[in-house]
Formats: sequence, C-alpha cells, structure tokens
Amino acid sequence: MKGVLLSGGTGSRLRPITHTGPKQLVPVANKPVLEYAIEDLKEAGVTEIGVILGHKGREEIQELLGDGSDYGVEITYIVQGNPLGLAHAAGCARNFVGDDDFVMYLGDNILKQGIAELVESFERDDYGAGIALQEVDTPEQFGIADVDDEGAVTRLIEKPDDPPTNLALIGIYVFSNEVFDVIERLEPSWRGELEITDAIQTLLEDGHSIDSHVVRGWWKDTGKPEDILEANRLVLEDNHLECAGHVAPGATVDGRVDLHETARIEDGAVIRGPVSIAENTVIESGTYVGPYTSIGPNSTLEGVHIENSVVIGESLIETSGKIVDSLLGRGTNIGRADDELPEGRRLVVGENSQLKL
Amino acid sequence: MRIITHTCMDCRTVVSANELEANRVMKCPGIKCENVLRFADLPADDREFFLEHAEQYGL
Repeated sequence: MKGVLLSGGTGSRLRPITHTGPKQLVPVANKPVLEYAIEDLKEAGVTEIGVILGHKGREEIQELLGDGSDYGVEITYIVQGNPLGLAHAAGCARNFVGDDDFVMYLGDNILKQGIAELVESFERDDYGAGIALQEVDTPEQFGIADVDDEGAVTRLIEKPDDPPTNLALIGIYVFSNEVFDVIERLEPSWRGELEITDAIQTLLEDGHSIDSHVVRGWWKDTGKPEDILEANRLVLEDNHLECAGHVAPGATVDGRVDLHETARIEDGAVIRGPVSIAENTVIESGTYVGPYTSIGPNSTLEGVHIENSVVIGESLIETSGKIVDSLLGRGTNIGRADDELPEGRRLVVGENSQLKL
Repeated sequence: MRIITHTCMDCRTVVSANELEANRVMKCPGIKCENVLRFADLPADDREFFLEHAEQYGL
C-alpha cells in the first residue's frame, strides 16, 4: 500500500496567509497541517508516500518534508502543475504507485482517529475503492454517499438538493490499482477537472464494490481561517501537552500547556491552557494567553490579552487590546497606539486581509 | 483522459506533461536534483497527443 498526499491548490480561502506559502503548511497547535497527514499515513503502515505538488509552495513543502527520513517515511514528489482535478492528481501518481493499491489523502485535512481503520477495512475484501465518510449536519453542501446495510457504497451524489444520507466524503480514499484505467477513460467535468467522484462512480458502474468507513471523532478541512482555529482547538483539546520550558516563579500557569524547552513565561504572565507555545518565544509580564491559543516560534508577547487564536510565528505583539478568534501570519507585529496622537489605529494591511476593529 | 508524466531518472521526481510543456526545458524540481528535464524527453506519441488535446490540459 502506497500513499498519495495532495498538496496543491491555491489556498484562496486562506488569504492573505497563503500569499506567502501553501495552505498545507499553516500550523495547527504549532505543527504544519501536512505533518498530521504524514503521521496518519505512517500509523496506518503506509511509508512510501508520493506528495503531489501544484504551482504554489513547492519549495516550502519540499524543504519541510525533505526525503521523508525525518518522519520515518520515504517521499517521492509528483509535480501536477495545473490543477486539473483530484483524479488527474491521482493519475499523475500512476508510475509511482506501480502495481500497488494506494491511499489518497488531501493534505489540508486533519482528523482525530487517523486512517488505519479505513485501510484495514479496505484490505479485508476485494474492493475497488474505500472512502472515508463522516456524518454532517448540512449534507446538501457536500459530496454525499448512499450506502447499503453492509456499508457498501451504492452511489455518490455531489451537493444533492435531496440528500439520501448525511454521509459526506471527507477527502480520504483508498484505491485499488484499477482506478488508473478508469481515470484514463474519464472526461473533464463542466469545470474542466477530472473528478474523483466520477472515478469512484465509474468503478461502481464497472461492478467493483466500494467500501465505506464512517470516521469517528472529529474531522476538519482546514481551508478557511475559522477552520484553522477550530482544528487548533480540537488538537489542543486532545493532545498530550508537555511543559518543558521555563516558567518564572511569579507566572500563573493553569491547565495544560505545551511549552517548548526554549520558550519562557515570565513573572506576571498568565497562561490558561490548553495552550501551545513554540521555541524561542517569550511571554512577558502583563500578558494573558487564554485557552485554545497557539503561539509560534521566535515571538514575544507583552501586555496583550489573547485567546482562541493562532500566531504563526516571528511576531512581536505588544498591543494593550484584546485579541480573540484570530489567525496572525508569520512576521505580524502588533504594537500599542495608546500614547500616539492623533488617537486611532494604525494599520499596514496586506491584500485580502480581514479585520474587525 | 490520458495523463502523461515523465519521471526524472536521477531523483525519481514525477513531472506532468503540462508542466514540461509550459517550461519546455526545466531544472528538475526534485530536491537538490541538477537534472534537466525537457518536453522533448517524452515519447513522440505522448507529445503529439498532448499538443493535439492541449485544451484538456489547461493550456
């Protein structure tokens, strides 16, 4: 079994964060989203992984993952170039996959339980494909699977007006090698892409059984800023957090805090977990870091109140204002304007930024 | 749809035909790979098919 990890896409819904890097490298609990996928694949016994690259962020992704040895896996890069659809991405991996079956994993997905059960379920029988599903409240907004009593998929419907189930495709699949011949027969859809749902539907029509596995626990597509915050909250809630850094005697630390060994919490700072603080970051006196916040590396926070937020890193935050539900890109600096005249906020804001003042 | 790729013989990085065609001659995008990849490295029938169906490949 091989792995195909999709790491292309423009990340348009995460602008301006993705103006300077790929969406798959946005950190959740101080770890790039893509690393969670690598860990899930490895945990499922998949150690030969093809990473699909689009136009954006190729160098950054290769710089992070390298040859995979840091993660105990072997990585081959596959340059898709133009975004011609998920089935095209899979098709580009044909030579890499060879005669094996493969897991296809969207690199901006993150899920609690991993994919081992999905892979095991697929391997129990002679399936053409296996798809991960999750129950959703708004099935009309998703690709939906109709399944029989044994869990076999009977049809797929894209964003149905009258959904037969609430089981949404979450973007993680296992495919038998037969899918490559099916992809060769596909034609681009109305949006000019080779659709993976068309490939699965064709496998069904060719008489292949399609396994389904309903994912327990949470799942997030981290495509939007609010999704990153939600994923950050879910991961911090679940993960073991280790406080290895320096906590000054006069600091207050409640709850679970992941403090890197080179990070410091100074006298007079208050931290209420779950919180993650990365390397070389300093939380100065008078700062409050509230639950579900991740502060990235090489940052200094002084006097600010921040909660339910992600600071990606390399930041200096000194404002006396309160920051909540925020995603701050790398190198963002927020000073204080309390003593400046004329009174008012002073902003240098990039394209596609979103502020509520 | 026929999907055409080329595999770098030095580092095994796979590059799709649309990427090769867009660049014609390119340094292999693999990590620290110095190999040069060319659209002309593809078999003649792949090149011909690709150019005849260029609109499918987003060109």
